[in-house]
Order: sequence, then C-alpha cells, then structure tokens
Amino acid sequence: MAKHVLLQTNHGDMKLELDDALAPASVRNFLSYVNNGHYDGTVFHRVIKGFMIQGGGFEPGMKQRPTDAPINNEAANGLKNNRYTVAMARTQVPHSATAQFFINTTDNDFLNFKAESVQGWGYAVFGKVVDGTDVVDGIESVKTGRRGSHDDAPLDDVLIVKATEMA
Amino acid sequence: MPPTWKSIDFISDLHLAHDTPRTYSAWAKHMAHTPADAVFILGDLFEAWVGDDSRSTGFENQCVGVLVRAAKHRSLAFMVGNRDFLVGADMLDECGATALPDPTVVLAFGRRWLLSHGDALCLADVDYQSYRAEVRSAAWRERFLSMPLAQRRTIARQLRDASEARKHQLPLHEWADVDADEAVRWMQAADAPVLIHGHTHRPGTNELAPGFVRYVLSDWDLEESPGRAQVLRLDADGLTRVTPSTAAAR
Repeated sequence: MAKHVLLQTNHGDMKLELDDALAPASVRNFLSYVNNGHYDGTVFHRVIKGFMIQGGGFEPGMKQRPTDAPINNEAANGLKNNRYTVAMARTQVPHSATAQFFINTTDNDFLNFKAESVQGWGYAVFGKVVDGTDVVDGIESVKTGRRGSHDDAPLDDVLIVKATEMA
Repeated sequence: MPPTWKSIDFISDLHLAHDTPRTYSAWAKHMAHTPADAVFILGDLFEAWVGDDSRSTGFENQCVGVLVRAAKHRSLAFMVGNRDFLVGADMLDECGATALPDPTVVLAFGRRWLLSHGDALCLADVDYQSYRAEVRSAAWRERFLSMPLAQRRTIARQLRDASEARKHQLPLHEWADVDADEAVRWMQAADAPVLIHGHTHRPGTNELAPGFVRYVLSDWDLEESPGRAQVLRLDADGLTRVTPSTAAAR
C-alpha cells in the first residue's frame, strides 16, 4: 500500500503519495523525518521556475537543521523525475541524501538514473504530489533572489508549517 | 557547414564567474571532450565581461585557456549575450573563435537554422529593451571601455547588486519570454523554420506558429544539487538534448 503525507505550507496544502514498493529506503527515511517533526518549520529554500522547488533542510534565516545518516540512492528504481514527482536531494556524491527533497515542476529527464557513476546516478524519485499541484505551481512562481550565500532563494519564506503522515 | 561535420553543439547561459567552480569545471570538460565538430556558444558564457583587456589574468584567463585548447580540435563560434556583450574581436581572435552576429542563420545538414541569444526578442520587457539600446551603442561602449579596468569591474559589480535589489522591489517578474510573433517574423525573414535561442533559462521546445519551432537552450548551474546543464546537439537526425561530455568517448 502506498503511504501518504500531508504537507501544510503557507502557500497551501499538498498531499504526497509515496511509493514504498519502488523506493523503500527513501520512503522509510522521509517518513522518519516527517514523524519526528524535522520538516515542521523548514522552508523551500531553493526555487527555480521551470525546474524544481527544493526544501526540508533549512529553517527561516537559512539555519540548517541537523540530519540523520545518508541513505542509498534508489534512482535506479524506474521512477522518472517527471512533473510533480518528489525526489531526494543530495550533494554531488551519489549516496548522500539525508532530509532535503525536491518537487520537479517539469519533466527533468536529465535527472534520471543512467549509470552507476558519479555523473550518471541521478536523483531518486520516491513519490508524487497527488493533490495540491496548484500549490506547487504557486510556490514555483514566487520571487527569488540571492539571500546570503544562497541563490534562487524565495524572498519571502515559503514555510512548511507541518508535515504529517496520513492514515 | 563543412561537409565533413557530423555534429554541432549549441550551449548558452553558463554565466561563468570565479564563484561558479562546478559549472566552470563541467564546461571545461565538455569543451575538451565533446565529440562534436563545432561548439556554438549563443550568449552569456560569462556572467560579466568588462572588456577584452580582462582576459589576460585570473578567471577570465583560465577560460581563454579552455577555449584555446578546444579550438585545436574543433571549430568554435561565439555570439554575445546580454551579460557578456562586451566580448570583442581581440578575445575571439585569441580564442580562435568565429564571431556570430545576432541573429545568425546556419546552413547545416540540408536545412536552415536561425540562432539568437534571445534577449532582443523579449519585447515585453520594455525597460530592458531601452537599456539594451543604450549599452549596445558605439558611444556607450567607447565611453565604458575608456575607463580603467578596475573601475569597470566596480561598475559591473554595482550593476549586478542593483539588479538583485530590484528583484525585491518590482512586482513579480517572470523571465520575459520571446515575443512569439516577432520570433516567427524573424524566422520567416530568414527562411528558417527552426529558431535556437537561450536567455530565458526555460529550456524546452515548442511550436510558435504552424511550421515554426523554437528550441530554448538550458542554462547551466551546477553550484547546487540538483543542478542543470544540457547541450543541444545538431546532427543529420536533428536536434537532441545531451548531457555535457566528461571524458573522451571511446
């Protein structure tokens, strides 16, 4: 059975459907952060129109929240980085994903798994937005600019008020 | 296009600067290892360019090195963009790159392709168009380039800071897209059914009018992850988006 998470933001609510069959480690990891309240009060700190919206790592003021250990990259699961899918963010290192995630706002083929190499690993899709895609569209369109050392940061905080696992 | 050519790469909007090391590295690798016979750079390779005399030191000089080495193995063509419009003949000569006017028509693989950076087509951005008219004038260029290099660098920084500050004040400003009717007029005048441009940072392909298609080049930004960097490759089969080369293909 798929899992569901409600993301309540200051731009509206989104319902995420998580594919725990094809991305078990990513879903387990994401739910762990949801259930211990990690995402509550974090922001979408990186928003690029026509690309993706990224969040779950920083509080307002760009203060980074501590995370748990990184997880394996499950991008080879066949799920594509298509519009409104949810994927794990990470550094350049393939297996470095912790808490941050992003929502694709277009079909980003170039983010899909190609090979088990640094260049080819891609980004692991583990779910999709099934309700509230208009909220994603709204967040995608906020004014952004440079805030401190962060480019593409919303000028007014886009806040995840609460993330809850739904029954 | 020389008959021996098998493919041409189109890139734009890398906005390279000393503080974009990851994007610079990906570009340097692609320039060294792409299998294409030519690389056409369609504007905003550089985040800023204050004059060709800046090319002899620092980050700019590193970029010259990349281009000079690439030019040994493939043809290079360079169109200026709205950030690096002061790239001139001295720079292109040293790099071994051919200057491309904006727009340019290319005859390749039996078809005509219209190339443009794209900023001149964003007619809805009225403020930008009047700014563009001013800074592309010979008088402005001469006045600016006559200032000492250090002063030009300062002014460029100030312009960049002012541009950032404006984002806070103006109502929501979407990247203005090209004016579709004007773009189609350009394509009709050039007898080229395909337009390739950058500038908007909104990669995609769509039909502007029946029979007139435009391809928007991806910008490159790899400083954060996920980042974005794509090459548009033209060969006998048409246009495909490919990942930048990282090593010599076997």
